[in-house]
Amino acid sequence: MLVATCNVCWAQEDEKWQEPGKATVAYQEYREKITKPPYGLEKVSLLIKKIKDDDESATLPQKDYLSLSLREKFTYHMIHAESYSQNCDAMPPVPESEKKIFAQLPDPFGEYSWSERQMNYFKANRDTMVALMTESIGRSNRVGVNYKKAIVEINGKEMIPLLISTYNRDHKDKDILTLLMILMKNNEYTPFLTSASYKKLFADAETSYRAFLNFNTANEELIIQRATTFYNGLPKKG
Amino acid sequence: MGKKQHTLNPLRKVTVDSFYIAACETTNRQFAAFVAATGYVTDAEKKHDALVFEPGLREFEWDNDSSAYWRFPNGVDRGGIEQKMDHPVTCISYSDALAYCKWAGVRLPTLDEWEIASRAGSTTDYFFGPKNTQISRYGNIWHGADHLQADSSDGYMYTAPVGSFLPNAWGLYDVYGNVFEFCSGKVLANESPTLAHARGGSWWCSNASCSFFNSADIGRVNKRASFSNQVSG
Repeated sequence: MLVATCNVCWAQEDEKWQEPGKATVAYQEYREKITKPPYGLEKVSLLIKKIKDDDESATLPQKDYLSLSLREKFTYHMIHAESYSQNCDAMPPVPESEKKIFAQLPDPFGEYSWSERQMNYFKANRDTMVALMTESIGRSNRVGVNYKKAIVEINGKEMIPLLISTYNRDHKDKDILTLLMILMKNNEYTPFLTSASYKKLFADAETSYRAFLNFNTANEELIIQRATTFYNGLPKKG
Repeated sequence: MGKKQHTLNPLRKVTVDSFYIAACETTNRQFAAFVAATGYVTDAEKKHDALVFEPGLREFEWDNDSSAYWRFPNGVDRGGIEQKMDHPVTCISYSDALAYCKWAGVRLPTLDEWEIASRAGSTTDYFFGPKNTQISRYGNIWHGADHLQADSSDGYMYTAPVGSFLPNAWGLYDVYGNVFEFCSGKVLANESPTLAHARGGSWWCSNASCSFFNSADIGRVNKRASFSNQVSG
């Protein structure tokens, strides 16, 4: 069909779009930062550069992959995703995101996501991943978005005390609160599943992936208190 | 066009030249004619990295199936397209879509053109009104709360024959759902050159996972990625 209209759309002068404020832009950049593990970082970065020079693939050849040590593989997975992702939106910066606790975490790798080989590594080396991330977070006092996603993937619920103590250092990274809620949701923790927060963030049929709670001290304390109680109720290892 | 307070697609006035746009999504039959005429080999056939879906996967999770490509969009094990020649072609990448367009003597719509055509003169979030309560009349979408259980409640779990649902006021079908339509253009001036954009949502898109079914939102995917829910425009 022919669309013969040259000027079919409209604007309302009183609804002009506001550029996100500096604080929002800065917080969005902060949210999207990944943590780069130190284990063989230089070697792994060079291998990744080699892959990226080849436009056709995002995957490290198996021979090179197998030559990496366990820790180097961890670094590779944490800084590079081999497969593709598809998103309905490019996840724009939400106005005043620094004042929100979101239901979902941002994408660490844009249009890429972890491949089956990478997820298999996560499953096979769960305890190693917990140990390496714990060491790395303890050193940097930072939980990059790649670590947060990995903690979700491996269901790293034993890391809850570390996550809370990291959050409490400066109360800045509200995605840690998001991560705590995702862990409670994924582990079907009843007090959370029956809460108003869960309903607003995850259970409403109209809920979109951009659902959020407004940040305030009461919300913050409630999430931390619930996550702590959830953690304390977990079976402890021998 | 756009939406109030949408940071990447804000409400604004745009001017475009007149353009033609196909009333339906590109079908398997059309793509087969292209391949027969040119011998074209798609990215998924070369790289064996198509991404497919089956119920049970978590939100936004897709499985790599090395056997999947446009003739077997869910992998060889789940059958081919012989009985689906009037369904939209899938498992083709943005690069494949450009090759098809070049052969067919057409081009992808720009992001603005797609939205103008999709709105068909409407000023609401959807071309049929402000709420999505009627969307099942107009689009093949996912009606489940998540993707853990199969959903065929509208008659189709995956793609539907093009034009199976009601069109918009300008006679365009499957504006929402069925498969994403690739569009040309960038959202941000400095975005990665590997990024492509698509509009309209797909059979996979649900109320919970896809706000506005891409009537306002702008999908993004790697130019070489081959998903079983995307097609040329």
